[in-house]
Amino acid sequence: MTARAPLAALTAPLALLALWQLAALSGVFPTQVLVPPADVAETLWSLARSGELERHIGESLFRLGLGYLIGAVAGLAFGACIALSRLAEAALAPAFLAVWQVPVIAFVPVLVIFLGIDEPFKIAIVALATFFPVALATFDGIRGVPKAWFEVARVYRTRIPDLILRILVPATVPAVLTGMRVALTRSWVVLVAAELLAADSGIGQMMEMGRQMFRIDVVLAGVVVSGVIGFALDRGAKAIEHRATRWKYA
Amino acid sequence: MKQVLARPAARFAIGFVVPLLFLAWWQWQASSGGARALTFAPLQSIGAALVELVADGALARDMFATVSRSLAGLAIGGSLGIAMGVSMAIWRPLDRVLGPLLHAIRQVPLIGWLPLFGLWFGTGQGTELIVVCLSAFFPAMLNSYEGVAHVEQRYLDVGRLYGFTPFQRFRLLLLPAAMPLILTGLTQALAFAWIASIATEILLGAGSGLGVTMQLAQTQQRLDVILVAIIATALLGFAINTLFQRLRRHLLRWQAAPL
Amino acid sequence: MFVDPRPPSVASADHAARGALTIADLDKSFTIGGEPRRVLDNINLSVKAGEFVSIVGASGCGKSTLLRLIVGLDADYSGEIRLDGNRIASTSLDRGIVFQDHRLFPWMTLAQNIELALLNTDTPKERRAQIVADHIALVNLKGFEQAYPHQLSGGMAQRAAIARALVTEPKLLLLDEPLGALDALTRVHVQNELQRIWMAQRSTVLMVTHDVEEALYLGDRVVIMAPDPGRIRRIVDVDLAHPRDRGAPLLHRLKDEILAELTAAPADPANLVRLPGREDRR
Repeated sequence: MTARAPLAALTAPLALLALWQLAALSGVFPTQVLVPPADVAETLWSLARSGELERHIGESLFRLGLGYLIGAVAGLAFGACIALSRLAEAALAPAFLAVWQVPVIAFVPVLVIFLGIDEPFKIAIVALATFFPVALATFDGIRGVPKAWFEVARVYRTRIPDLILRILVPATVPAVLTGMRVALTRSWVVLVAAELLAADSGIGQMMEMGRQMFRIDVVLAGVVVSGVIGFALDRGAKAIEHRATRWKYA
Repeated sequence: MKQVLARPAARFAIGFVVPLLFLAWWQWQASSGGARALTFAPLQSIGAALVELVADGALARDMFATVSRSLAGLAIGGSLGIAMGVSMAIWRPLDRVLGPLLHAIRQVPLIGWLPLFGLWFGTGQGTELIVVCLSAFFPAMLNSYEGVAHVEQRYLDVGRLYGFTPFQRFRLLLLPAAMPLILTGLTQALAFAWIASIATEILLGAGSGLGVTMQLAQTQQRLDVILVAIIATALLGFAINTLFQRLRRHLLRWQAAPL
Repeated sequence: MFVDPRPPSVASADHAARGALTIADLDKSFTIGGEPRRVLDNINLSVKAGEFVSIVGASGCGKSTLLRLIVGLDADYSGEIRLDGNRIASTSLDRGIVFQDHRLFPWMTLAQNIELALLNTDTPKERRAQIVADHIALVNLKGFEQAYPHQLSGGMAQRAAIARALVTEPKLLLLDEPLGALDALTRVHVQNELQRIWMAQRSTVLMVTHDVEEALYLGDRVVIMAPDPGRIRRIVDVDLAHPRDRGAPLLHRLKDEILAELTAAPADPANLVRLPGREDRR
């Protein structure tokens, strides 16, 4: 895992790939069960060349982006609202916590009944998956600001805008960013699940079609692509988080 | 306002205002006639669905199926995860060889494996259980690894001072020191296993379970049944989590109570 | 008041022959940022069996490093450290140590923490509970056997750590700023306890501290160390019988002398504190 041992780190995956290729070529398993990695790579290549892969990824990322934006903005607003107002907390937090007990995926059937299986459904499920972690992180972040800092602000007679800009926001940002990163990877999972269930395009749908047509190479290509996208989203979000909270590591 | 909010009873009552308003709006939508009335199930039909599902034992059967699937997944996946995480932290070569592979596999959304497992193992209950086990495996593994790998040097020094054997070091030092994180991992694993159970039930629809019922009800446009299943999911999830937190507090009673 | 935890057969006469420490030409370097940095330079010290020696010095003079070497947690040094003639290369149950942080395992009760030190000794299993109980009584913690460390106050936890270090009957007891984290009143109290315990046990003790008064109150000799690199500046004899009176004039005279030596700095006007910007405001 460290830079010191890149060779050792590559050994296991490479050995696994080699073993996989050998097992697939040995003919013990039918090709519906095990295709050689070379075939998966070939499928990926041809999907990419025909533009099909690009279309699926584009559709999925569009849904993810729009749903995430809606969910994150709503979550920020809601979390800030119940953190700053005791009345809002008393009125809304119990209902929020009750709904939070339900896995987001369980809302899929409800949303399908209300919204059908088209775009609004997929964007709504992503927004929902984003909303909860972001709202909770915002709430915790704001409530977690030490009282002593507010007291310091009062000693120096800090004005309200300065208080928000210079104390509240910087103190809350790390927690909120972590929540937003968690929300991003989670909503990606939920989106792939929703696409598996009901969609006419997207990475999940590509895999589901592959399964129904017994095209294991297409399914594996989808596994690889969804893994790479999930990894890239997490790493990208981590990089942003790290940049925005540099003062913590100075 | 402040005085009102200071009273627990008042706070409790305020918490009901928004849900009640929501229910009233819902009922109004359902009874107002028109095209939308079909989608909104009126409250009395949700009640009727609840009575029906309880009476014929379907709800109990579903709840039992989902809970036992989650707990089986937690037991299998969680214990394998702890074993793997602890071994990787104690024996670094294993970490160097298997770590990158496991972290690569982890990147794929668990649900993403479903079509592949569907081809390999069919779309039955076996596949559901495998995914639930996998979902419990990773949080248990990652946290156990962190816990054992980052035991404080000052405690390790004490182990050296008193001549601990490797086994004593493991049992008296590494394992208890890592226990808070291992239990954190198991808490996450429980949540993941619970979600994975519902998700695979919805996606595969094999056997019985709350997710299976939800999915079936969706194809029949029975919103009332779905809502009953969702409420059961919320209550069960809450109950399991509460029980687990109790267990955790008991196991970690040596820790100072968080302020 | 005190309870002797040792069986009568282990007489103090036997102890007199045990626990003599000799340090000769000891050097120790760390590599910091690729550069070797000397932290201990030519340390020579010999401690008689049963003697209580205190070490004081400014922070960064290598006091704690010296104790880590003597206890055997770090074997990478040049020169000689010998206990009763045997060169020290690793940890051993004939040397006990108490750190500034008590380092009790938080997941074990007080009694379990102390018993843990006996785990790899040849003490018969059936006698261990009694020995642990005796040591808990020795440090006045009776009644807290089943308490977890987080339930103990700082002073109690530190006394428990002392009991754990003593339970193996070490020839040499090392104390690394054992009272540094305690408040002033508790510290005086535990100092009295330490003196009482040491008078009962009479094992060799080497204590690092930054408190000159404490060093003088407990030590038969006080070693004064200087930093950069850590070296011995001077050794002061405290010729006063135990138990001591804190108000003894000798202790006060020596304290003034040592403090003057430790804080001696040329009176340079550049060292005077100047508040930034003050002069402009006038």
